[in-house]
Amino acid sequence: MIRALQLTKHYHMGDSVVRALQDVDLHVPHGQFVSIVGASGSGKSTMMHIFGCLDRPTSGTVEINGQTINTMSEKRMALLRNHEIGFVFQTFNLISRTSALDNVLIPLMYTRKAYSTKPAIEALDRVGLSNRAKHKPSELSGGECQRVAIARAIVNKPKLLLADEPTGNLDSRTGRQIMDIVHELHAGGMTVVLVTHEMDIAVQAERMIEMKDGRIVADTAVDAERRDEILRISRDSHQSLFRKKSMLSPSSKPLPPKLEAS
Amino acid sequence: MFHIRLLFTAIRGLQQNLLRSILATLGVIIGVGAVVSAVSILQGAQRDVLDQFESLGADQLIIVDGKREHGGVTSTVRALAPVDAEKILQENAELVIRVSPQYQGGGQIKYFQQNVNGIILGVTETYAPMNSYLVESGRFISREDVRGSTMVTVLGYGVAQDLFGALPAVGKNVKINGKSFVVVGVMEKKGTLGFMNVDEQAIIPLTTAMARMFGQRYLSMLNVQCASAVAIPACTEGITKTLRVSHRIRSGTKDDFTIYTQEQMKQRFAQVAKIFGVVLYSIAGISLLVGAIGIMNIMLVSVTERTREIGVRLAIGARRFDILKQFLTEASIISLFGGALGVVAGWAMANFLGEFTQVLETYTPPSIIIASLIMAVFVGVVSGIYPAIRAARLDPVQALRYE
Repeated sequence: MIRALQLTKHYHMGDSVVRALQDVDLHVPHGQFVSIVGASGSGKSTMMHIFGCLDRPTSGTVEINGQTINTMSEKRMALLRNHEIGFVFQTFNLISRTSALDNVLIPLMYTRKAYSTKPAIEALDRVGLSNRAKHKPSELSGGECQRVAIARAIVNKPKLLLADEPTGNLDSRTGRQIMDIVHELHAGGMTVVLVTHEMDIAVQAERMIEMKDGRIVADTAVDAERRDEILRISRDSHQSLFRKKSMLSPSSKPLPPKLEAS
Repeated sequence: MFHIRLLFTAIRGLQQNLLRSILATLGVIIGVGAVVSAVSILQGAQRDVLDQFESLGADQLIIVDGKREHGGVTSTVRALAPVDAEKILQENAELVIRVSPQYQGGGQIKYFQQNVNGIILGVTETYAPMNSYLVESGRFISREDVRGSTMVTVLGYGVAQDLFGALPAVGKNVKINGKSFVVVGVMEKKGTLGFMNVDEQAIIPLTTAMARMFGQRYLSMLNVQCASAVAIPACTEGITKTLRVSHRIRSGTKDDFTIYTQEQMKQRFAQVAKIFGVVLYSIAGISLLVGAIGIMNIMLVSVTERTREIGVRLAIGARRFDILKQFLTEASIISLFGGALGVVAGWAMANFLGEFTQVLETYTPPSIIIASLIMAVFVGVVSGIYPAIRAARLDPVQALRYE
C-alpha cells in the first residue's frame, strides 16, 4: 500500500534547513494497521502528509497503492486523496456551518462522478450516527464529531486511512469508541496508519514504528505479549519516554525488532 | 463541472457571516443603483427634451440674444427688438411665413384670494397658430390688442384651474403683478411647449408686457416659421442679413444674435447630455469600484478566516480549481444579488427623484437592467479572482496547521 524509499524532506525556515525526514525506508503492505509514535518534531506528521499526498518529498520515492507520487500532477494527487485516502485529524476539522451529513458529503462533491447522498448516509451509519445526520458539529459531542470525521474519511471507500492523533482531543472512554471503529475498518480490509502520543492507543496496532529526528528508530510487530510489555515500560517512565530514549529498544529487556525489509 | 452543492456551499459560507456579506452586498447595491438611476435620469431627460424639440417643428427657427466676447469675458448682448420681427417678415416675405416675438417675465396672477405664481408671456397674435396651441374658451390676443397695448390676458389651462376652478374665467378681472387685466380667453391643456409648462403661464400682448409691465426694450426671443424645412438654410441666411443691417453690424464683426434650428438645438443638447453623462457615469463607476473593493476585502478576510477549512477541503480531495470555484461563486453571489437589488434600488431612486422634483422625467431602459446584472457579475468575478487564487494557492500542510 505504502512504499517509501530513501524518503527525505527538508524545510527551509528562514536561513536554517529543517531536516524533517531523513532517508526513511518503509513498506506498509495492504491491510496493515501501523501506529507511528515519536516526540513532536520527530517527523511523523511530515511523513503522514507525504503519505497523504499533501506534500512532496525533497528526495526519495513514495508509492501509494502502486502510484508514484513524486512526479504526479496536482490534479492527480487531489484525485488520489479523494479516492484512495481518508484523513482523520486530531481536531476533527469539520466545517461548522453545515450539518454532519453535509460534512460527509464534501468528499463526494469533489469526486467527479454522479452525486448522491446514499454513500454519505451509509458512512454515517457505519459510525453509528445516522440518527444525528442533520445536527451541526456544534450540537455534537467531541466523540460524535470525530465519528462524523471518520465517516467523511471513509465515504469514498478509500484503501488507506490516515489518522493523526484521532483520540488526542477525546477522553479515554470516547477514545476507545473511536478506536473500536478504527479496528472495525481495519478488519474490513483497510490499511490504517495512525499517529499518536498515547501508548495504549499505539499498542493496538499490529505494527509500531517509532520515529526520532526524522528517522525510524524502531519498527516492531505487536502481539498480546509485547503489548503488555510496552505498556508496562511506558507507565514506569511516566510519559517522558520520548525525551529520553527509544522505549521500544529498552536496555533492560530488549524487544526483538522485526524490521520490514523494503 | 458545476454542482448545485457548490452553490449551497457558497451560500452557507456567506450566511455564516451574514452582516459582513450584507455589507459587501451593499457596496454593489449602491454601485449598481447609482448606475441605474444615472442612466434612468439621463435617458428620461433625453427623451423629454427630444420630445420638446420635435414639438418645435422642423421648419422653425429660434433667434435669441448673441454672445459677445470682450477681453476674455463672454456676456450676453441684448439686441433683439420688436421692430426686428417686422423687418424679418417684410424682407424675407417669400421664405418666412410668420414671426412670433416674445417677452418672458415672471409674476403673480391673482383673483381675489386665489393667486398663483407663473410665467407672464408677452406675445403677438402669431404665437398661438405658430405653436398649434388652441384657445379652449374665449379668444386669443389679437393684432389690435398688441397695437393698443390693451390690458387683456389669456390664461394657461393650469392657471385658470387654480384661480377659477370649474367657474368660467372669461370676462373676469385678474391682477397680474398688481395690474388689472381682463381675461379674454383660456388656453387648451397643453403641458410643455418649448421647455416651458405653458399651462402655468398668463399670456398678455407683447407691447403691454414690454412697455406697461416690465419696462423692457428688448425681446427674450424670436420664433420664426419658415416656408418649409427645406427652406431653413435660405431662411437663416436671409434673417442673418436682415438682422445685421438692422443692428448695424459692420462686416467682419460677429453677430449679436444666435439662430438655432431644431437640428442645432438637438446637437447642442446632445453635447450637454454627453457631458452630464460622463459626470454621472464617472460617479456611478467610482461607486461600483468601491463596491468591488468591498467584495475583495471581504473575500480576503474570508479566505484568511477559512484557511483551515481550505486545508481540510484540499486534504479530502478538492482540487485547487475546486477551491477557486468555491470562492469565485461566493463573490459572484454577492455581486449578482447586490446587482439585482441595485437595479431595484436605482429604479426606485430615479422614480423617487422624478416624483419629488416634478421636473425630471425618468426612463429605465430594459437593456440597462441586463447590462447592470452582467456588470455586477463581472465586478464580482474580477474582485473575487485575487482572493480566490490566494485561497487555491494555499499549501495544504500549512493550511491544516493554521490556527
